Amino acid sequence: MFRKILRQNEAYVFLLILALSIVIGMRNPSFFSFENITGFLKSYSMIGIMSVGTLFVLILGGTDVSFTAIAQVVEYAVVVLIMKFGGNIFVAFFEAAILGIVLGLINGLVIHKFRVPIIIVTIATFNIYFGMLYVITKGKLINNIPQMFKDFGNILLFPQKSAIGGTYGLSLMPLIWLAALILGWIILRKTMIGRGIFAVGGNEIAAERIGINTFAIKLFVFGFVGFLAGIAGVVHVAIVQSVVPNIIVGKELEVIAAVVIGGASIFGGRGTIFGTFLGVLLFAMLNNGLTLLRISSYWYSVTIGAIILIAITVSAYQRLQRAKTNVKVQIQE
Amino acid sequence: MKPLRFFQSNRSLYIILIAIIILMAILNPTRFFTVGNFISMSYQIPIIAFLSFGSMIAFLTGGINLAIISTTNFTGIITILTLRAISGQATYEASVSSSIIALSVGLIAALSIGALCGFLIGYLEIPAFLVSLGIGTLLNGVNIVITKGYTISGFPPFILDIGNGLLWGIPIPFLIFIVASVLLSFLLTKTVFGISLYLVGSNAVAARFSNINIRSVYIRQYMLSSLFAALTSFVMMGQLNSVKANYAESYLLVSVLACFLGGVDPFGGFGKTGGMVLSIIILQLVSTGVNLLRLDPYLTQAMWGLIILLLLGTNYIRSSIREKRRLSAVLQEAKSNPSATNSASLL
Repeated sequence: MFRKILRQNEAYVFLLILALSIVIGMRNPSFFSFENITGFLKSYSMIGIMSVGTLFVLILGGTDVSFTAIAQVVEYAVVVLIMKFGGNIFVAFFEAAILGIVLGLINGLVIHKFRVPIIIVTIATFNIYFGMLYVITKGKLINNIPQMFKDFGNILLFPQKSAIGGTYGLSLMPLIWLAALILGWIILRKTMIGRGIFAVGGNEIAAERIGINTFAIKLFVFGFVGFLAGIAGVVHVAIVQSVVPNIIVGKELEVIAAVVIGGASIFGGRGTIFGTFLGVLLFAMLNNGLTLLRISSYWYSVTIGAIILIAITVSAYQRLQRAKTNVKVQIQE
Repeated sequence: MKPLRFFQSNRSLYIILIAIIILMAILNPTRFFTVGNFISMSYQIPIIAFLSFGSMIAFLTGGINLAIISTTNFTGIITILTLRAISGQATYEASVSSSIIALSVGLIAALSIGALCGFLIGYLEIPAFLVSLGIGTLLNGVNIVITKGYTISGFPPFILDIGNGLLWGIPIPFLIFIVASVLLSFLLTKTVFGISLYLVGSNAVAARFSNINIRSVYIRQYMLSSLFAALTSFVMMGQLNSVKANYAESYLLVSVLACFLGGVDPFGGFGKTGGMVLSIIILQLVSTGVNLLRLDPYLTQAMWGLIILLLLGTNYIRSSIREKRRLSAVLQEAKSNPSATNSASLL
């Protein structure tokens, strides 16, 4: 039982998180404060929401890089739409979901119809979505976003007065992240669609033979990625309270790295929601921890890279060891 | 999922190339067909070409090199640090010999990064995607930590000439590009190492049983890929007269895109230098065209994506038509001569 747990990536990431939080907490006890924890969870909500979609595509057996461009386009479009036609936050989320799903479905359609690798199509659509966003908007920033985005971003559960006079509390953003995680978990573990995604990721031809509609599965996955990217776009604008048209783009490799650290296989067919959550949590804690330990944020990338390298080397070493112990013994007759 | 063998021939590329040239001739002939325009294009082509060559080499065995941009910047940073160590703070006055030493140190740094990537991929059997993602992130961090995010500038004339100089009226970076393309083409098609790359990419197990040392192939492959990163860095240092931790970051996806346009199979085994050169020229022509028409430069990016999708579409339609024709021919034959044809020929 214990050995089985240790064999999973999640266990190592969990231990790493535990060790890291002890080290950071010992050097700076404010790490464990309610204010700090809610703070770093909030700032990583957008990456957390997008990571669920990335996990789905990785399980399907490919790498999507266009989701940041989708989030960027949706963020801009929704803010412009609300400024023009008005509406409350639910309208904003509805518009974001629809737009995200449409952009995602385009990916899925092209990928399945032309039978080309996911990464090629998503690099192409990344360029189209992001390029067109800049062409149409001329790269203009939007600073005076509608008040209701700010109000939504400032809603606090369990509000408390901080020592310096401000208030802090649990923002709604981490709850949306949590909702995305739960939704992803239900789809992957409790529905036929989830089974289908694992089957297609494991072996597409075999999946087709047993009667899984691979086209529908792919459409669903890319629609879902677009949906989450759209939601993430609105969450992002609620957090940063302005729209900069190139701020989300460029985060795709960080998101993929977080999901991979969480144990998802880049060959498809393997990956868990819990692992993905741990991966993003690790990144969030590292970023926060560096600040609390008064280490320059320049080191963030170095530590992330080192963790990726250590993680993949350890798991490769384990795999090689296992291959050694499982050598077939040939017995002469 | 084995995809269709897309863009097998360069025919579609020639068609696109000619179409773009005709389009430019119609839209803006006075500015497009000038010597100055072609000279400025020949300054811009080498950077994107070397990065794309670096990516292509990784793709030949089904790998990917996500660390190529950070290797490029790392090379530049190591080079200027070496210059500083040799000739003090006044790096722009450094002599030719110390420039050469600094460039060599930068090159060695790049090659060691490549060797490390190759080692992890070959000996520990870790997927190239993860290795290069990890190394790339780490190296990017190292670059930021070394430079503290600042731009470091001041290169001696010798290094500036690599990016800006003229030789016999031709820009030196373009000459390097021509020589590098010819050498790369020779290396890939005429040497044992080149052939083994394609073989490992098509079938690594078969390659191993053909007495190819796959591990050493991987190491040399990623060293070659990093060599092109170093070349990019040398040209960039010359043109920008500075180094920074995040130069050319947006070129990572572009270099991958150039490979797909050039007919490189991301699953390994297929891809030629000729196709790459064509694809790079197409990408540059689009970019120049957009600039000359005074359109938004980001339109270039959207057009590049559209060209890929168009190419995917036409290839798909072409291959499905071919498949239909083949099937109907087989059926025709089966009708006219039922005994001679068996069902196996349908597959």
